[in-house]
Amino acid sequence: MAKPRHVDKTRGSGAETGALPLAKALDKLRKAYGTGIELRDDRGSLALEGAVATWRDKIDAGWAAARFGYRGVVNDLAVPGLEPERLEPPGIKDCSLDGLAVDVAVIGGGVIGASVARELARWNLSIILIEKEYDVAVHTSGRNDGMIHDGFAAKPGTKKAWYNVRGNRLWGSWARELGVDFKRQGSLVLFRGRTSAAAYPLMASRAKENGVDGWEYWSRSRVRAEEPNASPGQHGGFFLPSAGSLSPYKATVAIAENAAANGVRVSFDTCVLGFDLESESIAAVRTNRGTFRARAVVNAAGNWADAVAGMAGDRFFSLHQRRGSDLILDVTTGVTQKHIMSMPSLFQAREKTKGGGLVLTPEGNILVGPTARELPGREDYATAPEEIRELERHLKVNVRLSLSHVITYFAGVRPCTYEEDFIVEPSQRVRNLVHAAGIQSPGLASAPAIAEDVSAMVVRVLERSMAVRPRADWKPHRLAPPELRRLPLEERARLIAANPRYGRIVCRCEEISEGEVRNALRSTLPVSSLDAVKRRTRAGMGRCHGGFCTPRVMEIVASETGTGLCDVLKKGEGSWMCAGPSKSGGRS
Amino acid sequence: MSVGLQSMETDVVVLGAGPAGLAAAVSARSAGARVLLVEREDRVGGILKQCVHDGFGLEKFRERLTGPEYALREADAFRASGASLLTEAYVTSATRSGDSSFLLDCVSPRGVAQVRARALVMATGCRERTDRQVFIHGDRPAGIFTAGLAQYMVNVQGLLPGRRAVILGSGDIGLIMARRLTLEGVKVEGVYEIKSEPSGLARNVRQCLEDFGIPLYLSTTVTSVRGRRRVEGVTVAAVDGRSRPIPGTERELACDTLILSVGLIPENELAVSLGVPLDGATRGPRVDQNMHTLADGVFACGNAVHVNDLADYVSESGRVAGGAAAAWALGGPQARDLTPLRAGPGFLYAVPQFVDVLSGERGSVFFRSNATVAAGARVSLGAMKDDDRRELAAKTYPVLRPPELERLVLPPELPSGADSYILDMERMDGGGNDA
Ligand SMILES: Cc1cc2nc3c(=O)[nH]c(=O)nc-3n(C[C@H](O)[C@H](O)[C@H](O)COP(=O)(O)OP(=O)(O)OC[C@H]3O[C@@H](n4cnc5c(N)ncnc54)[C@H](O)[C@@H]3O)c2cc1C
Ligand SMILES: Cc1cc2nc3c(=O)[nH]c(=O)nc-3n(C[C@H](O)[C@H](O)[C@H](O)COP(=O)(O)OP(=O)(O)OC[C@H]3O[C@@H](n4cnc5c(N)ncnc54)[C@H](O)[C@@H]3O)c2cc1C
Repeated sequence: MAKPRHVDKTRGSGAETGALPLAKALDKLRKAYGTGIELRDDRGSLALEGAVATWRDKIDAGWAAARFGYRGVVNDLAVPGLEPERLEPPGIKDCSLDGLAVDVAVIGGGVIGASVARELARWNLSIILIEKEYDVAVHTSGRNDGMIHDGFAAKPGTKKAWYNVRGNRLWGSWARELGVDFKRQGSLVLFRGRTSAAAYPLMASRAKENGVDGWEYWSRSRVRAEEPNASPGQHGGFFLPSAGSLSPYKATVAIAENAAANGVRVSFDTCVLGFDLESESIAAVRTNRGTFRARAVVNAAGNWADAVAGMAGDRFFSLHQRRGSDLILDVTTGVTQKHIMSMPSLFQAREKTKGGGLVLTPEGNILVGPTARELPGREDYATAPEEIRELERHLKVNVRLSLSHVITYFAGVRPCTYEEDFIVEPSQRVRNLVHAAGIQSPGLASAPAIAEDVSAMVVRVLERSMAVRPRADWKPHRLAPPELRRLPLEERARLIAANPRYGRIVCRCEEISEGEVRNALRSTLPVSSLDAVKRRTRAGMGRCHGGFCTPRVMEIVASETGTGLCDVLKKGEGSWMCAGPSKSGGRS
Repeated sequence: MSVGLQSMETDVVVLGAGPAGLAAAVSARSAGARVLLVEREDRVGGILKQCVHDGFGLEKFRERLTGPEYALREADAFRASGASLLTEAYVTSATRSGDSSFLLDCVSPRGVAQVRARALVMATGCRERTDRQVFIHGDRPAGIFTAGLAQYMVNVQGLLPGRRAVILGSGDIGLIMARRLTLEGVKVEGVYEIKSEPSGLARNVRQCLEDFGIPLYLSTTVTSVRGRRRVEGVTVAAVDGRSRPIPGTERELACDTLILSVGLIPENELAVSLGVPLDGATRGPRVDQNMHTLADGVFACGNAVHVNDLADYVSESGRVAGGAAAAWALGGPQARDLTPLRAGPGFLYAVPQFVDVLSGERGSVFFRSNATVAAGARVSLGAMKDDDRRELAAKTYPVLRPPELERLVLPPELPSGADSYILDMERMDGGGNDA
């Protein structure tokens, strides 16, 4: 049986192991952030209560508290004018899960939950993946840069470093098995001046310590030869060949489809609302669609993972939200550079992100970003105009880029603990709960490695009550549906001869056929929303933003799901597209 | 040849079967060319199919027709012409093959056809602008529609897009939809226009808004949209002279639908891939009076060239383009001598942008002013030679408005040897251009 491979060196087991005494900790925090703060030792974690003046103070106090040597920081500081956020379950209420009994319930259909489900499906287990939205990858996993980092940037000794390097290696085989378009372009970190170039030996030793798969020093002329459009201000660069990129939502969809093909039940529009606890174990999981039993539960709830831990009485950490925005440049820009490029400035060293850069996507766009801002809002994806201006400076890294290439922008929210590291461990209080929480960047790159470990932890929990054996019929491979616009003409003609719907173009901007839209709706995942189709096929992502294809896609959805046009939804429950039939009845 | 891959040959391929493409096909066919009309949808008629209001055809048929009626007449003429038609067919790539022909890859449910043609007519129409970047921060809820999409839903699919709507932008389709939705029982809260003048026709403001008591707010825009799954409301605010929202003027409106009518953009992706240069003001190809683009053998017409407000003008440009394309295809490449035609101060643009002085065809210049000239203006076309201007044609217009496309008929004889032609505006109130 696989064993968890990562031995935790960073997290102590509680306050007793050399933590700063409570009184001293309180004194420090009050001096810096005001006398409204109260402290409590909550079974080894440091609980911050009372109030501070601003959100920023709350975050800074949390970070300061994280250095006091406790197991975790639970930050309940109130900020005037800001109500604590509440999980809003979908409006659907039914009892479709009532009475169900499964071996494992995985909470969260992001890349982490989907990967854990895929790994667990190797065993003879009944598994359900629970997601409150209408599809996988609706939140952070669909709102990031899609970079499979090399593992250099993470602080040595952290879980982030370990899982990133291991995850990077695994993505090669995962992408092959799942039919995901993954390119290892390599990442080129440019030196802004001679002083930063002098940092090369330090960078090399950090890469070595983290176990990164390869690094090179590139001279100024080498950079010029490899990347003729790189900023003339460069003083050479640090090249990391193992870095690459993929489409994060397509990858998550692929992972979840493969899990479903191996028997994982996927339940969308399903929100975990609470647990029934019996003798330090979760006996039942309560949702808006009924209550069911599970022998083991995985918490992969992204930005709500602290709330889910709290439902099980195991809130030993809390999450703060670090929002990041990206610009998307049009596909013509992809040919102007060969590698992922960035040119960090020195002040970025203090920030808690890699500072962003230019990520080349496999489809030929360039993503510019991400930014990093501490803001409340676990699912608030607004981008501020000043962030767009901040991103403009990255455009200078490639002299061929300008603001006129920007087609759109988006934001995502990183779930961060105050310790700024991943939590991948079995609960210390609940016997059948495993956490994969605080999975901030580089969570996507780390996902396969995190999934391996979490799966092994779950198997150990289950082995206390059942025999866990590998499944003989586990299928690692997924046949990716064809993307006709990328095929040679003969191939395309052959597919159309077999299925004429591949010849009927419904999205004229992105050249997507009816057949491809139907494939998206017929996968192993039960999706039917327009945005789910859009994310899988690109229908509606083009220059007209769905102006032409929306009615056609609505008709295909209605015909595939056997419902009326008025039942078609854009993004799950409540996102109706039309209010009813018109008086004239149409078809003029 | 492999399964489903066919090849075809013809003289003229017309892309798009709206009024422009239908007229082009008919006129190319009657000039004796073999013609293939390629349409992406399953029926001909283009955008007219969804314009059920009347007011079409006053110029061409001297009747008030609805869009579908107008399209039907054009479709009948097309059927009688003997030109061929491929529907549900989408051209994925167009390349030049040798000096005098083009090769098109055409995908349809019947397979992939490689079509060889001597001349191309681009009649691909336009798409609607979406303005996404401007104000919709974050996640886009359901309930935001472009006016044309809402029009398709109501008139073709028989669906109501919502119950309570705010319309952003005062383009014609938005004005027409304000009336249509009101008649359908939808509460239209108002039309909000960022500019200080409506961008649709005065006639539409009167007939679609005033007659129905729908308020029009000028110099006002939508600054944000509320709602996670479906629109729940919008914030509107007055803007200053530079289109920036004025703090303190924000108002919250409850609505479940936001309709965008913020302009149309000619569709020219395929033309661009063939190296056809576009005009920055029209966003369509630069053409001569034969609707010939600067790429030899590639012609363009209708809304693909510039956004017309009358289908009649669109048909006319199609007729010109089709005839010229047939002559080119049958007669082989002919020399052109292109003299630029420029719009002077006070104009948004003028089409054509060139005159081929070797060609016998004359036609008209179409133009738009860049601001309202309420006092009226005299517009004239001059031929420039060295620094001399010789007037060729002139007409006085009682009023000029940017939404209204105007026409100036060219004289049958144009003097040769001009350096350029220039369109000038003389305001009747003697004022300068203040736009
Ligand atoms: C701007 C930005 C750029 C980034 N770039 C990169 C990058 O280039 N490379 C990289 O490796 N990482 C990157 N990251 C980080 C990466 O995106 C995340 O680490 C990763 O997506 C986290 O996945 P997750 O599954 O934990 O979270 P999520 O994707 O948020 O999934 C959690 C899911 O749980 C569901 N859920 C929550 N509560 C409940 C409940 N009670 N019941 C049911 N379902 C529930 C949510 O709806 C959600 O879908 C970036 C992040 C951001 C914000
Ligand atoms: C939504 C909308 C509503 C309008 N409403 C009015 C109105 O009410 N009154 C009015 O006077 N004017 C209206 N107009 C302006 C109207 O478009 C013109 O008057 C006229 O119909 C334009 O004709 P056209 O042939 O140039 O383009 P269209 O009628 O748009 O025809 C273009 C055709 O080309 C096809 N096509 C595009 N690309 C390809 C391709 N690659 N391959 C094959 N086929 C392709 C399209 O499917 C379409 O059938 C409207 C325009 C729009 C966009």
